[in-house]
Amino acid sequence: MAHAVLRAAGALLLALVVTLLGAPAFAQDIVLGASVQLTGPVANTGRYYKDAYEFAIDKINAAGGVKVGDTKHKLVLKLYDNQSDVNLSVRQYTQLISQDKVNLLLGPFASNFALADSAVSEKYEVPMVQGGGASDQIFSRKFKYIFGTLAPASNYFASTIDMLKQLSPAPKTVALLYADDAFDVSVAKGTQPLIEKAGLKAVIDERYTSNASDFNSLLSQIKSANADAVLVAGHETEILNFVRQAKSLAAAPKMYSFTVGVPSEDFRKALGKDADYAFGMTAWLPSTSLKDRWFGDAVQFAAAYKAKYGYDPDYHAASGAADVEALAEAIETAGTLDPKTVRDAIAKLNFPSLYGTIAFAENGQISLAQTVIQVQADKVVAIYGGKGFIEKPKYPMPAWNAR
Amino acid sequence: MTASRLGVVVAVVVVVAVLAALPLFSSDVIIQFGINALLLAVLAQGWNIIGGYTGYASFGNSVFYGLGSYGVAIAMVQWNLPFGVGMIFGAALAVAFAFLLGVPVLRLKGHYFAIATLGLAQVMSAIVSNIGIAGQNIGLVLPPLNNDHLFYELSLGLLVIATLTVFWLTRSRFGFGLIAIRENEEGASVMGVNTTLYKVLAFALSGVFTALAGGIHAYWITFLDPESAFDISLNVKMIIMAVFGGPGTVLGPVLGAFVLSAVSEILSSKVTNLAGLFFGVVVVAAVVLMPRGVADVMRQFRRTGWRYFAENLRAHRI
Amino acid sequence: MDLLAQVLINGVLLGGLYAVMALGLALVWGVLNIVNLAHGAFIMLGAYLAWHLYTYLGIDPFLGLPVTAIIMFCVGYALQRGLLNLVVRAPMFNTLLITFGLEVVLTYLAQLAFSADFRTINPPYAGNSIALGPLVVPLARLMAFGVAVVLTVGVWVFLLRTKLGRAIRATAQNLVAARLYGVEPRHLYAVTFGIGIGLAGAAGCLYGTVSQINPYIGATLTAKCFAISIIGGLDNPLGVLVGGLVLGIIESLTVLYVGATFGDVASFGILVLVLIVRPSGLLGKTT
Repeated sequence: MAHAVLRAAGALLLALVVTLLGAPAFAQDIVLGASVQLTGPVANTGRYYKDAYEFAIDKINAAGGVKVGDTKHKLVLKLYDNQSDVNLSVRQYTQLISQDKVNLLLGPFASNFALADSAVSEKYEVPMVQGGGASDQIFSRKFKYIFGTLAPASNYFASTIDMLKQLSPAPKTVALLYADDAFDVSVAKGTQPLIEKAGLKAVIDERYTSNASDFNSLLSQIKSANADAVLVAGHETEILNFVRQAKSLAAAPKMYSFTVGVPSEDFRKALGKDADYAFGMTAWLPSTSLKDRWFGDAVQFAAAYKAKYGYDPDYHAASGAADVEALAEAIETAGTLDPKTVRDAIAKLNFPSLYGTIAFAENGQISLAQTVIQVQADKVVAIYGGKGFIEKPKYPMPAWNAR
Repeated sequence: MTASRLGVVVAVVVVVAVLAALPLFSSDVIIQFGINALLLAVLAQGWNIIGGYTGYASFGNSVFYGLGSYGVAIAMVQWNLPFGVGMIFGAALAVAFAFLLGVPVLRLKGHYFAIATLGLAQVMSAIVSNIGIAGQNIGLVLPPLNNDHLFYELSLGLLVIATLTVFWLTRSRFGFGLIAIRENEEGASVMGVNTTLYKVLAFALSGVFTALAGGIHAYWITFLDPESAFDISLNVKMIIMAVFGGPGTVLGPVLGAFVLSAVSEILSSKVTNLAGLFFGVVVVAAVVLMPRGVADVMRQFRRTGWRYFAENLRAHRI
Repeated sequence: MDLLAQVLINGVLLGGLYAVMALGLALVWGVLNIVNLAHGAFIMLGAYLAWHLYTYLGIDPFLGLPVTAIIMFCVGYALQRGLLNLVVRAPMFNTLLITFGLEVVLTYLAQLAFSADFRTINPPYAGNSIALGPLVVPLARLMAFGVAVVLTVGVWVFLLRTKLGRAIRATAQNLVAARLYGVEPRHLYAVTFGIGIGLAGAAGCLYGTVSQINPYIGATLTAKCFAISIIGGLDNPLGVLVGGLVLGIIESLTVLYVGATFGDVASFGILVLVLIVRPSGLLGKTT
């Protein structure tokens, strides 16, 4: 009899100890789910999002976590690799919601992924904040649960074209090249009217196949048409090929500008000195005027990020970090984890962050202006913004053998 | 009907019934996986008709898949027609393609046929990415329908019809003709089989099932673009599943599709980074050790045991 | 007129690059009847190898071409001897499937080893060009064209004039007879495949100099190489030069006159057309 009682007491004690030890110091964690390209052709940019999400979550947790009502909760990231496969990404988001029971969603990289995955967040009515898709198509479906921190694609070249008008000698003719995917076609559609309004003539307006590796024909046409300015909306690998082939064909327009590539470090490393003079744009530059609740300001964010991951963050990473902050702020404002209430809180957000002011328009997309940047002797320099010239651009571009 | 035959039929009916009832008591993720696996099984079965029974390894089934997908998408998005009409449209496109391009391409043998169909898939993908009504390279976004149960039952139904068709093949004159073509085409022709007609019909039949699967998939995912609709690696997947399961058998491709889908899905959700790598290794190992598929392993294993694999090696290596 | 001339030059030089890329595939296919779906992945590996040789040892990609080719030859030999020889006598599309599996494995291993970023081989002369009046001839591509001609003629001479080459052709045509003559087929198959992969490695060196390298370039390269091999014909190694030139010129002209999104329609359209009308290719014998 005594044995049995002793054994029962022992078991009870054991259970108590285990429960107490296993009990989290904080109340139940908030789980954010995401399916990101960690392998496959788009993985090179996809990994920025994984790093950024983890970085922001760690920082928020270190500061105490997210407050819901009276209790503080830690953020946890549940991340899947979609292998650059859109169909798998859709299935993974479904799994995150219905099986892993995450609270809220972070987005993938690339417009076509965001387009397909937003159908899942809409179906299950769980808000997704994504910083990887800028195509206008994502936000024109009147979905209520998708938000985006990348500026609209159609606006990408706006500040560049503004700047063109003020350069001297002013360029008169423009060559516009764009890949045939959702994002770049959106860019082109928005750029064409801007070119016209600026009084420039588009001597070449050509859509090319995504992942093209040979631009020799197009470059020859650009030379032959004497285009002063060349605007290219494409992917990093294409733009890399474009620049190298421009050099080998001795094609040197007065200036050229690219939608991607210039802000990212390994693009500049791959081109070496050939990257010089290239224009690009970014909606984010690490500046001390971008104050942030958790990171202090954008410069401190960039420094800490580089220290941890070994590469300078570009706007993709900043956008990803901003997504996490947007969710955190929305949860605190809503005071609950109920998806519908959080969704309404996200829609009403308006707070400063390392990425800029986070505020979403009615269709769910953020509105940010692009700053024109240029590679000058291995460094990226901000040239032209909303208030005019910031630095002097190196213009016009000299012939290749005269560099 | 013998007792063992009756047993097989009963077993199959029970399995189908269980599969049909699955959505009622399982999670959304299982249903999604189920739809995917069922559609892949339809594709494998469709390929089985032209590849397994007729012996023409087609890399162009992805064209039928794409035509079926785009048929549904264009009908629903551009012309506001219902899903059913879209499916018929897609299937019609596939049949037209099979007849128009099947005749010249099916004159080729072996590798050349495979490469020709591969070329056709690339051409179609490139052409469609230039067609305005198909949304060019951006693709189309379909109206969303939040009813996974329906898609599941549709896919299951399509698989049952496809498998029954293959079963009918094994006991019909048409099917015997196809097998004769596979084993010895010249001989078949000499014996009076109209090889061209039979081959094209097989191609078209294969195309119909593939196109219908493509149509269901497009509506389910609500999004398609040329790259995903005419995806060559999907074609390779259907071949691998058919060959892994056992080409030229009735249930082999279905088995292959289910097993490989399960393996791939488990890998993708647990070991994510190495999922693709593992799949490649599995493919290589399967081709070396069991080139005639799982169905053959199951048949012969009882007789030869583990020596089965060694014998395969000895038979095929130099 | 100048524009047309320039585009034609572009096309011819592109054709040379294409010919080098396809040479290994055509050799292995034409002689051994092995269709290597992983061919592009080997070009990719060759490119990475050349990149490492250039970045860490300072070996120029053109001068170091033999080094890369020899290392890749060993890889190919080992692969054929250890793995592919196991399925040579299996039904035809088993080799298609196994090489497809290989392609997946190689791509993933490359991603794990080298990450998904993109690299370039950028020797100082890589962007130079020679001016011929108003026309510009990119230097790197011109050198690649030269390499293409040398390698293609080399393979042709090897197959038709040397003892080893004849032995390889004999083995491929009649395994039993070859054995009776004391030839060791496993070794010969492995040598041939090794040469094919060595050529792929050489193509990789060149490719990395004129374009960019990442683990995923394999699949598109393989598809292109198929088109080139078929158009030129598998009976004669010189066929890849013809196939490459035809493809390079037609692609460049298509971009100029039709549009930059029709390049693939042209290349693969020609592939299908050649297969339907003249499957043995432009240089092949019609038996």
